[in-house]
Amino acid sequence: MSLNALLEDTGSADNGYGSGIMDEHTKRDIRRALLSAVAVPGYQVPFGSREMPVARGWGSGGLQITLAIVGDADVVKVIDQGDDAGVNATNLRRLIVGSTGAAETTVTAEASIIQTRHRIPEEPLKSDQILVLQVPVPEPLRGVERDMRELRRMHAEDDYARLWVSLYEDKVRNGVITRTTGYPCMIGGRYVMATTPIPRWDCPKLHQAHHLSLFGAGREKRIYAVPPYTDVEPVTFDDVPFEVERSPGRCDRCGAVGWTESFLIEVPNSRTWVCSDTDYCARRRLKDRRVKA
Amino acid sequence: MGYVAAKGGLEAILAAEDLVRRSRLSGSSPLLGIDQLQERARLAVDRVMGEAGLWAPELAARAFRQAEGDVVEAAHLLRAFRTNLPRFAMTSVVAADEMVPLRRIVPAYRTPPGPQLLGRTSDYTGRLLDLSPEAPSSELEDEGRSSNATGAAATNGTGSTASGNPGGGEGGLTTHRRLYELLRDLDLVVDRRRDIAAGDDPEPYDITRLPVRPGVPRSARLAVMARAETGALVNLWYRNILGTDMHLHEVTLGEVRHGLLPLPVIHPHTGRPVVVGRIRATEAEAIEDLSGEGRDRSRFDVGYGVCVGHNERKAIAMANLDIAVELDAGKGSLEQTVLMTTDALDSSGFLEHLKLPHYVTFRSMVERKLAVREAAAQKVGDDHEAAPMDRAPDAVLAGEPA
Amino acid sequence: MRETETWALSVQGLTKSYGGRLAVDDVSFNVAPGEALGIVGESGSGKTSVLRCLAGDLDEDSGRAYMSGLDGGQTNIFSLTPAERRALRVSRLAMVYQDPALGLDLGISAGGNVAERLTAAGWRSFGAIRQRAAHLLERTEVPRERMDDLVSTFSGGMRQRVQLAKALATNPPVLLLDEPTTGLDASVAAGVLDLIRDLLAEFRLAAVVVSHDFSVIELLTRRVMVMHNGRVVETGLTDQLLADPQDAYSQRLVAAARS
Repeated sequence: MSLNALLEDTGSADNGYGSGIMDEHTKRDIRRALLSAVAVPGYQVPFGSREMPVARGWGSGGLQITLAIVGDADVVKVIDQGDDAGVNATNLRRLIVGSTGAAETTVTAEASIIQTRHRIPEEPLKSDQILVLQVPVPEPLRGVERDMRELRRMHAEDDYARLWVSLYEDKVRNGVITRTTGYPCMIGGRYVMATTPIPRWDCPKLHQAHHLSLFGAGREKRIYAVPPYTDVEPVTFDDVPFEVERSPGRCDRCGAVGWTESFLIEVPNSRTWVCSDTDYCARRRLKDRRVKA
Repeated sequence: MGYVAAKGGLEAILAAEDLVRRSRLSGSSPLLGIDQLQERARLAVDRVMGEAGLWAPELAARAFRQAEGDVVEAAHLLRAFRTNLPRFAMTSVVAADEMVPLRRIVPAYRTPPGPQLLGRTSDYTGRLLDLSPEAPSSELEDEGRSSNATGAAATNGTGSTASGNPGGGEGGLTTHRRLYELLRDLDLVVDRRRDIAAGDDPEPYDITRLPVRPGVPRSARLAVMARAETGALVNLWYRNILGTDMHLHEVTLGEVRHGLLPLPVIHPHTGRPVVVGRIRATEAEAIEDLSGEGRDRSRFDVGYGVCVGHNERKAIAMANLDIAVELDAGKGSLEQTVLMTTDALDSSGFLEHLKLPHYVTFRSMVERKLAVREAAAQKVGDDHEAAPMDRAPDAVLAGEPA
Repeated sequence: MRETETWALSVQGLTKSYGGRLAVDDVSFNVAPGEALGIVGESGSGKTSVLRCLAGDLDEDSGRAYMSGLDGGQTNIFSLTPAERRALRVSRLAMVYQDPALGLDLGISAGGNVAERLTAAGWRSFGAIRQRAAHLLERTEVPRERMDDLVSTFSGGMRQRVQLAKALATNPPVLLLDEPTTGLDASVAAGVLDLIRDLLAEFRLAAVVVSHDFSVIELLTRRVMVMHNGRVVETGLTDQLLADPQDAYSQRLVAAARS
């Protein structure tokens, strides 16, 4: 699916639940918001978020985007924490596939739309793929300001001094910048954006990417986007390098190196690590087996 | 298409769904009927409709049963169902005066214009847990019929009421002047009337289609509160009375009503309004004593609350908060709090999402904890060796960005 | 028309009213580089409102203000957009408030407060920000070891020193001081005043000093304006005016202060 597809209507099958999970009028509403978001990278576009059959906070924003852009020819992959088999991913996938004519896959390279919570696949995405991210908290400045009118002003005037100060204080107090996931990034040199809670490890994958990334916050009713080939720069001082999570080990299943190749998660108390991206991990093992055979 | 089906999660979900469904359907007592819930759990069903923002007693009862009595969950079911329903028509504007009261009280006056109509309420009934032995249901039903239980016939507002007598001997179909109008005549309230003749009659803000944020018109605020979680509004109200937020002062209730509102729709052929049904609603007016700088101490200002179904707590809290936000005029945070934090689907959804897997984010957090320790260890090492900080170089002193 | 050689800040016909009451009524003055102008008057005379309009904390009703460093003195700062006004506050026009909570974020460190001004001005090197903040705090006599402490743990006098360090962070040509030592113990106030006097000279600042306290005005300024009910009733050299006021209200004010 290409960016152009956003402009086109995409019919969907009726699953018998009223007129489907989302009607065509709503899809058009959301696609309009998506186009605004693509036109102004990193800017949070308010949109008329609808109630979904999943709770707000459970991917209702990502689900609305996916349903608004998915068509019969699409192949959809849904992951949570990098895992296709996660309960939330499974639930969303069956809603999407069950209410549209799209096919499903777990193979990153085969998917035309990848909806995700908390991860970007390890395998670089291509220009005909769209990444849809579920966003719990779209406001990157909430840690330094709560008043929504003031937040609007700060974004409008490119006034990010207080974010910088929070990084300064963090570094002074802790010796390092302790921000974890959802690291604030400057998009296209203009808007600071919350990178959902993807780990810092994934932030560089957004920078000058081949693919389109769409971010949906259903509860907070915001949509934003990083178009292909856009600068995504983690906000940090010139002399304080941005640090991603690096795991001091290898994946117990596929041998991927946590320092350079894959975001690994720890099996508690075992000094054992495994890939969080299950498809990436499985693919590496498959390749190994072929080589050995 | 995929070479490996994502099985584990799906199996667990299906098993969980099955457990819920079987538990709901099994048990030694008969399954609750939709009609039973509408009649016997009227206030719960009303609350589901209120928080869903949809008048649909049968569907609300169905949702309530499916949610095993969880009002928020039931409201979610109903709202998600409603989201994509086609809109056949819009009702024309109904003045609140057209409400046919089933109950109406005016605390501000002993003898207000119109009746003081106690109606169906347990306000003045001792809160004694009824421990009398369970009588056979047929006897209870007889009692209900013989006493012409007040308001009982009105539980289904769209049914018997349209045809005639809604509430037994409770005042019938009469409407009457509201207290607000009396106060206007006495020049005791700030006049907030719009000049409709001059075109000052904006379309209400549709919060189901448009996002809400501070600065939206009052109609958006009222719509948000009308479907807000009852407990959230009550708590916000109480915080402003007892807590440090201080947005509410001396409030007197002008009018609390529960009654029937007609739903007029313009007939596509005749072009004239036709009443297609009635809904029950609760409304309240809160008379606020204007205090504070620049306020007109010679008049009151009035806040308005209304919600679907019978829910006086909600309507009263809403009316109070409406006027509090109006008077705050965007200076404090009350408007944002009312608009952004009172929706049950938002707050409950976000709270419950904490139950989702978070092991990627948690791994990232653990990594930073270790990084802080490493930096601290490094610093201890440095402090032992390094000389005091160098004097600032000239370029830095000059005040130019480096 | 405007000789930028002779002034750093020029204010013309500044007027501001609250709810029908004129708080500032047609006030005009120039301040030269390296010069400090005092404004005295009792509470409610409008002197603080003058500063707040210039700083952009209050919207003026009418009037113009120019800074020689901005477009060669050709642009009325009141005509700037809010974003441009904010940029002006960052780089060219600093204010020290009587209440430190208005000028500082008490919830962050002293260094962080200076860093806010620097990052707003585009500084992006942690090391350079840190060195600049350390230097400024040292210059305003905040002990080096307190640089990373929260300002909320500081005494009143120390907070004013942090405000001064922050105000000077970007070397602004104009500094507005609103009752900078009011509320401080006499000995603490004296120390802060000495510091301000030295800084005004060292940074060759054009300063406007508002105070009800004549000793502050005498120590810091060469010229002074007396304000009463929003109007300037008398202007003159500080020592002459305070020794020999001409206007009837000035005479009463001076007499009251001297008694």
